[in-house]
Amino acid sequence: MNIDALTEYMTTTPLLWLLITLGSFKLGIIIYEKSNKNTLLQPIIVAYTFIMSALFISGVSYQEYFKSVEIIHFFLGPATVALALPLYNNLKHIKSLFIPIMITLFVAGISSILLAIFLLWIFGAELVTILSMTTKSITAPIAIITSEQIGAIPSLAVGFVIITGVIGALLGTAIFKILNIKYDTSKGFALGLISHGIGTARAMEISEKAAAFSALAMGLSGIVTAIFLPLIILFFQ
Amino acid sequence: MLKGIITLLIFQFIGECISKLFELLVPGAVIGMVLLLVFLIIRKSSFKSLDNAVLIHLRYLPLLFIPAAMGIITQLDIISKEFLAISISLVFSTIIALAFSAKLMDYLTIHSENKK
Repeated sequence: MNIDALTEYMTTTPLLWLLITLGSFKLGIIIYEKSNKNTLLQPIIVAYTFIMSALFISGVSYQEYFKSVEIIHFFLGPATVALALPLYNNLKHIKSLFIPIMITLFVAGISSILLAIFLLWIFGAELVTILSMTTKSITAPIAIITSEQIGAIPSLAVGFVIITGVIGALLGTAIFKILNIKYDTSKGFALGLISHGIGTARAMEISEKAAAFSALAMGLSGIVTAIFLPLIILFFQ
Repeated sequence: MLKGIITLLIFQFIGECISKLFELLVPGAVIGMVLLLVFLIIRKSSFKSLDNAVLIHLRYLPLLFIPAAMGIITQLDIISKEFLAISISLVFSTIIALAFSAKLMDYLTIHSENKK
């Protein structure tokens, strides 16, 4: 037996960390489905915990880990392009409520970012944290590539995106009830606008109409944020 | 499905090229997304191969951001130092934004239906 050769292989091959990553995510999906799709048990949250434990135990650095799983990261690009299709499929709904959609998209979209920034600022957070918070309501792939563009920390940005999604999905229905929201289209649009994909999953439980408007809001806000946010930040620097 | 995958990659490639060429701040993949959307609007329909390619990318979407998301382990000092500010900002801005968006959309919808 050649233990040295085995150790050498294990520390150089990307396969080990690819397997741990894919396996943890699969385990996350199984647990999520077994828990009747409990919002708090998002597959990625479970996967996070397993991979993080594996990294801590093995002492492998993030840079080494990232190099091993870079091939997965690559697919964020085509996946972002792929988001055009669900947006296209739901675009027909835009005509029915064009003015409400556009006003809500811009007014609510911008004020939600400003509010999050303001709260961080009064509690004395650093600039890099504030920048990473600006993409918190858009879908994670666009948040990652946009945060890289504006000098924020992508991993922090993704963390904020996931937590924002979970909070929205958990409290959305209760908030809509308290406020007496009349239309499913409003509920769906708000969920997609603020809580992106995780909110859209919740909107699917409300109604088909809510799901369509949620997907619409998520696609539109992703594009609008990615286009305007870097320009606005450049303007202030 | 190959045709669909090639379509996604071509649009990303064109988007990245445009972003670099014109020194745009918009990420190339987002430009690719907009171009694909315009392409679908002009074409007036999607095609099977593209549907499948999109499905496979979006079905496992959360998996794709794990490599970037794990970078959080290098940010533990920021998180522990600003834990309070981050938690308050996330919780309150999300609740208020969600309430405001739904109420605003509801108000505007009622308003526009009254006009009709």
